[in-house]
Amino acid sequence: MNAAPILQAESISKSYPGVLALDCVDFALAEGEVRALVGKNGAGKSTFVKILSGATQADGGTIKIGGERISIRNPSDAFASGIATVYQEMSLILGLTVAENILLGHWPMKRRFVVNMINTAETIRVAREALEMMELAIDPKAVVRSLSLPQRQMIEIAKAIATKPKVLILDEPTSALPTHEVDELLALVRRLASKGVAVIYVSHRLQELPRVVDSLTVFRDGRQVDTLPIAEATPERIVHMMIGSEWKRKQAAIHQVSDTVRLSVANLERKNRLHDLSFELHSGEVLGIAGLLGSGRTELLRAIMGLDPVDSGCVFVDGERVNRPSPLKMKRLGVGMTPEDRKSEGIVAMMSVCKNLTLSCLDKVSWRDMISISRERLLAQKMVESLSIKTPHLDAEAKSLSGGNQQKLVIGKWLNSQVRVLLMDEPTRGIDIEAKNQVYELVRDLAAKGISVVFVSSEMDEVMEVSDRILVLNGGRIAAIVSTADTTIERLLTISMSEAR
Amino acid sequence: MSPEPAANTLSKTSCDDKPVEKQNRRIRSFLGKFGLSLAVILLFVILSVTAPNFVTARNMINVLRQVSFVGIISCGMTMALIGAEVDLSVGSVVALTSALLGVLIIKLHIPIPLAIVVCLAEATIVGIFAGYIRVKWEIPGLIVTIALMLSLRGVAFVLTNAYPIPITDEGFAFLGGGYVAGIPFPAIIFILTIALFGFVSTRTVYGRSVYAVGGNAEATRLSGIPIRRVRIMMFATTGLLAAISGVLLTSRLSSGYAGVGVGWEFDCISAVIIGGTSLFGGEGTIFGTLLGVLFIGLLGNGMVLMGVNPYLQDVARGVIILAAVILSAMQRTKTSE
Repeated sequence: MNAAPILQAESISKSYPGVLALDCVDFALAEGEVRALVGKNGAGKSTFVKILSGATQADGGTIKIGGERISIRNPSDAFASGIATVYQEMSLILGLTVAENILLGHWPMKRRFVVNMINTAETIRVAREALEMMELAIDPKAVVRSLSLPQRQMIEIAKAIATKPKVLILDEPTSALPTHEVDELLALVRRLASKGVAVIYVSHRLQELPRVVDSLTVFRDGRQVDTLPIAEATPERIVHMMIGSEWKRKQAAIHQVSDTVRLSVANLERKNRLHDLSFELHSGEVLGIAGLLGSGRTELLRAIMGLDPVDSGCVFVDGERVNRPSPLKMKRLGVGMTPEDRKSEGIVAMMSVCKNLTLSCLDKVSWRDMISISRERLLAQKMVESLSIKTPHLDAEAKSLSGGNQQKLVIGKWLNSQVRVLLMDEPTRGIDIEAKNQVYELVRDLAAKGISVVFVSSEMDEVMEVSDRILVLNGGRIAAIVSTADTTIERLLTISMSEAR
Repeated sequence: MSPEPAANTLSKTSCDDKPVEKQNRRIRSFLGKFGLSLAVILLFVILSVTAPNFVTARNMINVLRQVSFVGIISCGMTMALIGAEVDLSVGSVVALTSALLGVLIIKLHIPIPLAIVVCLAEATIVGIFAGYIRVKWEIPGLIVTIALMLSLRGVAFVLTNAYPIPITDEGFAFLGGGYVAGIPFPAIIFILTIALFGFVSTRTVYGRSVYAVGGNAEATRLSGIPIRRVRIMMFATTGLLAAISGVLLTSRLSSGYAGVGVGWEFDCISAVIIGGTSLFGGEGTIFGTLLGVLFIGLLGNGMVLMGVNPYLQDVARGVIILAAVILSAMQRTKTSE
């Protein structure tokens, strides 16, 4: 590790309007070193990775590869300078072979008669070389569809390796994998390191880090807090560095949660996703659900709404079992959901604000299936005012609104249909700080009015801020259900990042 | 949480609105709203000057009757396209209706009103069937209705041995050839259909659901709207309207024949698209479709009167469809910028 650094980044800064995402970060990585990057959401690690991979540009600072200064303006610059990035979402084309995927877009060509054709033999040879270097026993002629999930993940890495990178960036490579299939991948990372590839390993799973990384860098609020050898990094110390001391719990509005159980879930089970989930939601309660990416947060909400089938288990509303839940059935029982992906599941982008706000309560503004336009507009207008939705007028298209206001549309839609239970999946994702605070306030207001809220978020501090109780998911299981007053953010983080049983 | 730079730049540009841009946008939105009406009026004026005998009562009535058959179906097709579906079987449904009417009335001597009811019911059930397959196995409606397009016409030919079956009944002949207050009966049905669907699309829960499903099916499903039922309904509607049109056409031709309605699915889609309905769903109006139907009808009539080569007429129709789609695409990219 005392060799000259292969990658050296000096005083990298990046700001987005209103936010300093990276503040003079220095970073050095030696040949064959595996370095973990950890930090809360928004700590700056993903911005840093984006800068190295060319997805975005730094405002200032220098990057050197092997002592030579390079500039990374786009992803192909990054590849050309020897930095290859593997993102968490799969980008393989399932119908093509392993070899075709590994060399996707730069297949070796040959000319036959007058046509350019893919040189299959050469493609397979190059792919095999990459696979052999990784010591993977995967047939380059196999179709990707026939491979298992971990194998596909490795092909994803092989794609990066085929470009012969000096630095390999792995962005949450294990988050999509079931826990028991992680080992193979970790071993692969070690093999690559032993061959001299420097690896930046972004992960939230603290428990797997000692098995794969040499050292660890913690980011917080756009700064590098510290870099230390993994032997010195206990989970407690890491969590402490991630959080710092500046976070103080805001006084969570302590209010009386009624004993009435509004919604309950019993033994919900879905293969590889949800395992034996049971919990109760009281009326007027805000139940926070915390957990990492892939811990089953979204799957849980979708299962309750009947959007995805479950293998076993059931959902009760007001003590009555719901047979085969569907969004329509749940709506009639007073349960609504605001989905994580606002644009593709929450709003109808080209419809007006007014029509979006009444989409789930058309029966309330119509008589014999005929919509009363005046009643509809009145209802929408009231909701625009009560949620202070910023829109030029009721007929503005939903897509013209800001993220925060779009989120309010989705919430308003459910309030209009008089839900008594609202399942909110990452309601503050991608919205500005002011809108976030409004959402928190709104959630507390709803609870005070007796509406029960399930609040899913990957940001522990906001879960702490709004919830009465917190359910921590880890690997599709309930790792803990705690009362907000009795827990700390450190504890929640530790529970959700520890290895799932 | 890292902020979204995209959202920020978006709000910035809307703040920096220059007056010129604003005016351009206003012109665009004006053209978007009234462009097609202007085009229809312009076409009318040009044809009255250039085409012989264009502006005569007889010709106008003729045009009105001619456009009605396809126009009636186009109302259902508009709903389908708004809901991000398409029904390619309508031409074959017209043919099957015609063939079936011939067989029922002439060969089986079933009373005409009953025969008509049977035909309408049959087409509606076939539509429900298509919709059911669409939603049950999530097969694109395009594929399902292509299959129906082939097989229904096949059934029609088998039923009639490919011979036209003459139907001579004065009462029946009224449906396609009669007049009420000087207006052809099919045109009256067309106008009523337009009015009905104009209302359904804008003022009913079903109509709103169609727009929502076409705009974002997942969000609509999550809002507790039964999107499967809505989708099945769209295919039932196109089926029923195609059968109504088939009855009127059969009456007009005084025979049940399996060879009618060829290519009508494309005539309908053309009219709907020219009328400004998005091929991707979520947007469109019945009024636009009315204009689209009139535009195509007037253009065809004008070209016939001027003696344009029939093959060139097809070329002209193709060019106009392309132009209409490009115009609406340009408008879409401009407004989303």
